[in-house]
Amino acid sequence: MSLRVLNPNAEVLNKSAALHMNINAAKGLQDVLKSNLGPKGTIKMLVGGAGDIKLTKDGNTLLKEMQIQNPTAIMIARTAVAQDDISGDGTTSTVIFIGELMKQSERYIDEGMHPRVLVDGFEIAKRATLQFLEKFKTPIVIGNDPDKEILKMVARTTLRTKLYEALADQLTDIVVNAVLCIRKPEEAIDLFMVEIMHMRHKFDVDTRLVEGLVLDHGSRHPDMKRRAENCHILTCNVSLEYDKSEVNAGFFYSNAEQREAMVAVERRQVDERVQKIIDLKNKVCSGNDNSFVVINQKGIDPPSLDLLARAGIIALRRAKRRNMERLVLACGGEAVNSVDDLTPDCLGWAGLVYEHVLGEEKYTFVENVRNPHSCTILIKGPNDHTIAQIKDAVRDGLRAVKNTVEDESVVLGAGAFEVAARQYLVNEVKKTVQGRTQLGIEAFADALLVVPKTLAENSGLDTQDVIISLTGEHDRGNVVGLSQHTGEPIDPQMEGIFDNYSVKRQIINSGPVIASQLLLVDEVIRAGRNMRKPT
Amino acid sequence: MREIVTVQVGGFANFVGSHFWNFQDELLGLAADPYADSVFRNQHINMDVFYRTGETQQGSVTYTPRLVSVDLQGTLGSMSSRGTLYNESSPGPSDVITWAGHVSTHASEPHRKNLFLESLYEEEQEKLTVTSRINGGENNSRREINDKDIVESLENGVQFWTDFSKVHYHPQSIYELSGLWLDVQEFDNYGIGKDAFSGGLRGEELNERLRFFVEECDHIQGFQFVVDDSGGFSAVAADFLENIADEYANTPVLLYAVRSPGSHTNPRSQKQSVSRDLHDSVSFSRLSSFCKLIVPVGLPILSGSKAATYLALKDEKPYHCSAVYAATLHSTTLPFRLEQLGPTADSHDISGSMDVNGVVQVLAGQARQNMVAILDVAMPAPPLIGKQVEQTLLGNLQPLTPEIAEDVEDLQAVESITVHGSFGSGGNRASVSEVNNMVGTAYRNATRRPMFCHLSVAQCPLPIPLPFPSIFGNHVGQHGELLDSPIMGSPSRGSLEVHSIPMAARLRSSSAVLPFLENRLVKLRRYGVERGASGAQLLRSWGFGQDDLEDMAEMLSKMVFALDPHSQMSSDSD
Repeated sequence: MSLRVLNPNAEVLNKSAALHMNINAAKGLQDVLKSNLGPKGTIKMLVGGAGDIKLTKDGNTLLKEMQIQNPTAIMIARTAVAQDDISGDGTTSTVIFIGELMKQSERYIDEGMHPRVLVDGFEIAKRATLQFLEKFKTPIVIGNDPDKEILKMVARTTLRTKLYEALADQLTDIVVNAVLCIRKPEEAIDLFMVEIMHMRHKFDVDTRLVEGLVLDHGSRHPDMKRRAENCHILTCNVSLEYDKSEVNAGFFYSNAEQREAMVAVERRQVDERVQKIIDLKNKVCSGNDNSFVVINQKGIDPPSLDLLARAGIIALRRAKRRNMERLVLACGGEAVNSVDDLTPDCLGWAGLVYEHVLGEEKYTFVENVRNPHSCTILIKGPNDHTIAQIKDAVRDGLRAVKNTVEDESVVLGAGAFEVAARQYLVNEVKKTVQGRTQLGIEAFADALLVVPKTLAENSGLDTQDVIISLTGEHDRGNVVGLSQHTGEPIDPQMEGIFDNYSVKRQIINSGPVIASQLLLVDEVIRAGRNMRKPT
Repeated sequence: MREIVTVQVGGFANFVGSHFWNFQDELLGLAADPYADSVFRNQHINMDVFYRTGETQQGSVTYTPRLVSVDLQGTLGSMSSRGTLYNESSPGPSDVITWAGHVSTHASEPHRKNLFLESLYEEEQEKLTVTSRINGGENNSRREINDKDIVESLENGVQFWTDFSKVHYHPQSIYELSGLWLDVQEFDNYGIGKDAFSGGLRGEELNERLRFFVEECDHIQGFQFVVDDSGGFSAVAADFLENIADEYANTPVLLYAVRSPGSHTNPRSQKQSVSRDLHDSVSFSRLSSFCKLIVPVGLPILSGSKAATYLALKDEKPYHCSAVYAATLHSTTLPFRLEQLGPTADSHDISGSMDVNGVVQVLAGQARQNMVAILDVAMPAPPLIGKQVEQTLLGNLQPLTPEIAEDVEDLQAVESITVHGSFGSGGNRASVSEVNNMVGTAYRNATRRPMFCHLSVAQCPLPIPLPFPSIFGNHVGQHGELLDSPIMGSPSRGSLEVHSIPMAARLRSSSAVLPFLENRLVKLRRYGVERGASGAQLLRSWGFGQDDLEDMAEMLSKMVFALDPHSQMSSDSD
């Protein structure tokens, strides 16, 4: 072989060995993630080398925590993680779908079929399935006043696969309200405008939606009030600290007095900036008992804090960059970059600002705002694992609601789509093509069934029974899904089980692409550095 | 008080950092120890510059480094990324309260704690249970044997930087890059690390963690950034630095680009060597564009270098080499935390305090604006006796920066030198004024004098903590004094034999760094910028277009030009 001549160290796997390496890797990854799927899946506890524990039911998190070595598995994992980046969900489904496509193909290839033929079939089946999805999806009207019920159903479907039912139902309202809060007509939804904050405190059921903002820091002066009502909020990005390095070329002085003078000038400039803020405070707060809060993205040094505290102003420094945007959306006003032309119009408003201290962590709540377009989901839990779990779930829930609003359609869940698509492929599409390509379509169609099969398996049901009864119902013209409790066919619409259209479409799109690539590999060459560590 | 926030990015950077924090921890311990040498009890070193005071939810007070450390997943060994200070009881399977269904456990092979970490753990447990029992002498001797075993086990068994760390870190400090699915060996060039920072909210998370430490600073004086720039981490660091430069525009960044000798291995093929050279050029120019002062550290062969005259170390052990760099780093950071005195006040223990901005102004702010500094060290520093100080002290200061010219006449050179714990005549610690005079004389008599030299002096030597490797040669005495005749017996001496050493370290801005810059410029031009360059394809895959490369080359040639206006390199930049 020519490669041997070029590089005698290269390791070469020939045709069938290469293919089986890929198939085994795909199946291996599928096995790991399979048990995750659905509301009856298992949660995984990962114990690291140092004995630290991570808990996750999210395929995406699980993949990232696994130190995958096999190059094929890494390819699949990257596709699945990209799936999550694009659509926010469906990592597990992607992995098991790819795994199943490989597994189905293996049967045919072992019987001597060429992968090329299968891949052609995949392509036809994929296009047909996507067309079918367009027909199958349930369009919904979003408009200015979207149907909250349908959004809740989508969110609930996702959340129940991540958390126990009662908590999932509680979070359902939270995520739907959060998305509706930040939604602006004619604009794409920016989920970053929902702040997700966590406190290691109390219990998971104390998680709540804060209309307004929670900041993870407090004021740094002992004399500033810890609680204030009727607050004007100044959001600014102005350095309120004496900063030598602002002078680029350094100090030019020849004796100590000059140096002192330079320092004094510099200091005075900072004080003047602080004074301008105090002037504005006096303007808006004189004659009433309103309070004044400054939230600054830059630093505020102790002398400036002192001045502000003496003027009765609450000041927070080094706020997150994103919080500048969120604050303006939540409280109104505008974020100012200079204190030179401050007017009362720049100010936002919050009915209540207060601080909560937990050990060394401080939290500042900005609440009771008018007409907020930004909000905070405040996650509480007794330990980090609980918090991380809820956080994962909340992210997925938010994405699901956002997708629904943007797709303006949903897809019936509980495996209903997969069974319907499979029947469509087998009963109709297969007949339209000639020859062996039919088998590729059949393999694809059977691979689709992996979703209901896995759901059944994870619920402890007999997969054969379930598939037969589901396909039977579909052939009779009833669109049904799988009840996780009884194993009987149910109507997902009645049960309120809906999936995202864009997630499904993405899975159908990316799965076959990567599976085809892996199937068409007929030689694996390990050249250069050994994949394994030298030790 | 002016705070410094430290950032460590990459494997070797964390090795250096681990030693660095061990020194700090040792200083803290000695300052509180009534039986310690008086120089340690009155250090006049303000630890709050590097450390923060915190409180756990249970109300106990903590004192932890102001640090963000980034490394690949799986490089923490037996340490948990959340540390142990803010510990909560880890849940058993029954504690999974968010899920009503099944739980499956996947446990990876646990890393065994080595002897050193075990002894630390036991000590802590003892402290918790026994509060007031004084151990007798018998117990002490048992301890001694134990220590010997510990040193030996570290000498043979250090695999991760956590293996020899005795410091408690804050739970926000240690960050693991997960989901890259890369081996340490594969994470070896700029291109491979380019998405590691921005992808999957990792950048967000890191910025947040840094903000956590910056927010509580009343008046931050600067960032100390240590990066292992031999591989993909330089891309991570460059992206991180870009964010820092954006967010904290007025805060100076002092950057140490450290490399282990192992990262200089000979490339096996032409292609690899092109990739290596381009990585060096690209990572240097990217890193230098986001900081105020960059110090390249890391010789290809440390053990045989002049800097290691009194040391007996092994190049292949990052545990050994990082100790030297960490010690030097400790010395160069001393001026930042010497207690500030009034302009006229005088102290017997310290002099020459300066903040990060001061160092940057002295070295990079002068006429030439050269931001690349050379790091020199004398470890241990020779005693300041007699008239030959210029030969002993200045001659002993040897570079740790690679690819620099020796014996360069540079009238515009600027230096900042730190001497601490050095001995004077008669084997006593030299007083601050003595050191000041001696060093002043040395410079006056030196054949090649810098234009300006800033001197910082402290009496407190570098303490050698127990987990410090046995790297001292047999000419080094118990207090770091240089002996005339070697001690018979073991070829290398460690923390049990040597308790502290005097140190001298120097940062200098000099045209001696020209070869370093020119190498990077030439390689970048030859493999990247020129028409049909062999590395153009590679650089495109790293995400650099022709314009980016030309900008980089332009920047490098400006650096060269500043140091050497007559250079051939800078003139042909069309």
